[in-house]
Amino acid sequence: MASREMELSGLTQTNDPPRGLLAEVAERLIYPFQHGKAPEPQQATGFYTDTTVCIGCKACEVACKQWNQLPSDGFNWSGNSYDNTAELSATTWRHVKFVEQFSAEGSASEDVVSPESPFSRWLMMSDHCKHCLAAPCHQACPTGAIIQNEFENVYIQADICNGCSSCVAACPFGVITRSDMGGHSHKCTLCYDRQRDGLEPACAKACPTQSIHFGPVEELRERARQRVEELHQRGLAQAYLYGDVPTETYSEMHSFYLLVDRPSVYGLPEAPFNPWLHMMGDYVRSVTGGLAAIAVLLAVVFLMKP
Amino acid sequence: MNAESRSQQALAQPPLQKTASEAGYADMPVTKVPGWYGTIAWDALLNGMATGLFLATAVSELAAPAIFRPVAKVAYPVALLLLLVDLGMLVSDLGDPLRFHHMLRVFKPTSPMSLGTWCLTIFSLPLTAAAGLSLLAELGWDFEWARILAVVLGLLPAFGSAAYKGVLLSTNAQPGWKDARWMGGYLTNSALLMGCGELLVLSALLGQTQATAVLRMGFVALLVVNLIPLSLLFADLRPAHALLYTRGQQWRVGALIAAGTVIPVGLMLLNGGLPFLLVAVMVLLVQSWAVRFVYVKIPHTSPL
Repeated sequence: MASREMELSGLTQTNDPPRGLLAEVAERLIYPFQHGKAPEPQQATGFYTDTTVCIGCKACEVACKQWNQLPSDGFNWSGNSYDNTAELSATTWRHVKFVEQFSAEGSASEDVVSPESPFSRWLMMSDHCKHCLAAPCHQACPTGAIIQNEFENVYIQADICNGCSSCVAACPFGVITRSDMGGHSHKCTLCYDRQRDGLEPACAKACPTQSIHFGPVEELRERARQRVEELHQRGLAQAYLYGDVPTETYSEMHSFYLLVDRPSVYGLPEAPFNPWLHMMGDYVRSVTGGLAAIAVLLAVVFLMKP
Repeated sequence: MNAESRSQQALAQPPLQKTASEAGYADMPVTKVPGWYGTIAWDALLNGMATGLFLATAVSELAAPAIFRPVAKVAYPVALLLLLVDLGMLVSDLGDPLRFHHMLRVFKPTSPMSLGTWCLTIFSLPLTAAAGLSLLAELGWDFEWARILAVVLGLLPAFGSAAYKGVLLSTNAQPGWKDARWMGGYLTNSALLMGCGELLVLSALLGQTQATAVLRMGFVALLVVNLIPLSLLFADLRPAHALLYTRGQQWRVGALIAAGTVIPVGLMLLNGGLPFLLVAVMVLLVQSWAVRFVYVKIPHTSPL
């Protein structure tokens, strides 16, 4: 973390009115319990990312950082192609991934090469929060800081989060991270503030190749399916959509991708699993373990008491 | 070497293996490890010790009041002390400890941490009452009916406080943890076992021979019963352990944990004296901590 950001985060905001200790304590105690009125539900929105047209320019990363005023993560050489961002974090909500598929002889291996690029290919993908319909982070959050807003996007209320990290443990995509600066969790908001003002998210606005599409989820799905069909007709049989429809183990995602290789090549789980599918069974085993011990103890007490 | 020739050499010798880059991100971890380190192992231990001591005491006292009442009046304050230390650790482990009370702004049964926080908060009230009334009774102000009422009211939230922890540590996407179906079963069972051990030591220290004799047998029985969820948990974790540790390391850890059961059982059957009891319970507590520590460590070291 850059030291200037740390320094700034410690400063008192100049527009905060001066308050006494008691007023401060009372405010801290009462504030989280003041629930506002939920906005009227709107049409569900999301992202459809067509990785086949991504050129890895990182304009989305920059636009995201700029609009959301996210601090720099420093500059580090990762040694992994042009990916020096390395991962999504509390201060990096967009991450452009680079995959170089070149064989040693200058021709790509048969199972990965596309007819469009007979010798070699780059895969590039702008990664971000998947805004899952049944989001494990949302289910895990004990404070109610993580909500599904009126656009059915998963949103973290930073003023409520207390940094318990349940969401970090729950996310199967490794999206959410707890910040070292304030101790709270952060991730892509799908530019909630811009959406409320009728604007598209900063990353989609900045994308020069229309790899990042934003809009109503149903429209995006239709557009994505047409694009897959088009690619199939052009001979790119590997093209498919990831996350557009629910599976047996995971809900649909409001941010989904068009991919041309296995999900794991892009750093995505092959078959995402919602941990909550196990929760009831785990509770049953937990209660059984406890009740068995109580039964044994009671049996011994009744058998041995005079 | 001039700049141009350095550049040419760099082009001729790329820094990465090409095969690695063709696989892209396939070999990189997908999930992020939460900031849950050693504190969580201690928290899981203290949670079990506090809730287990309360539950073992309450169950024993309600089943045989004449035998267990004297030791119960000491056990409840001890359980309260353990719980306070545990709560301190829970709060300090948050990213923003001053926002601990935000957990109480909603009740979400889908969140094991929410359920656990509510159970712990509710449990702390009757436990404080039971502990306070036990201490008052020692000073001559005996409100027996109120103390028993507090104990009864504390049963359900105490059980919930013991039961949620394992589910919290298994209902997530972390490598190893996500496959640990018996973590909850083990932790809840282990809480009762540790509680019985603590109550046994307190009984022996207070010279309660009848209570000590009963609890000694109960402790041995629970040690044996606890092997079932412990074995099931290790069966769940076997694939993760196989990736993390060599076969030799797995055997050594397994032997140490098995010793944590065999030694206390042997000591209990050998002699019921206070030193033997103390050593047996200490060995059990060390084993219980070791199981929790090994478990908490998995995602931090996992190559999955």
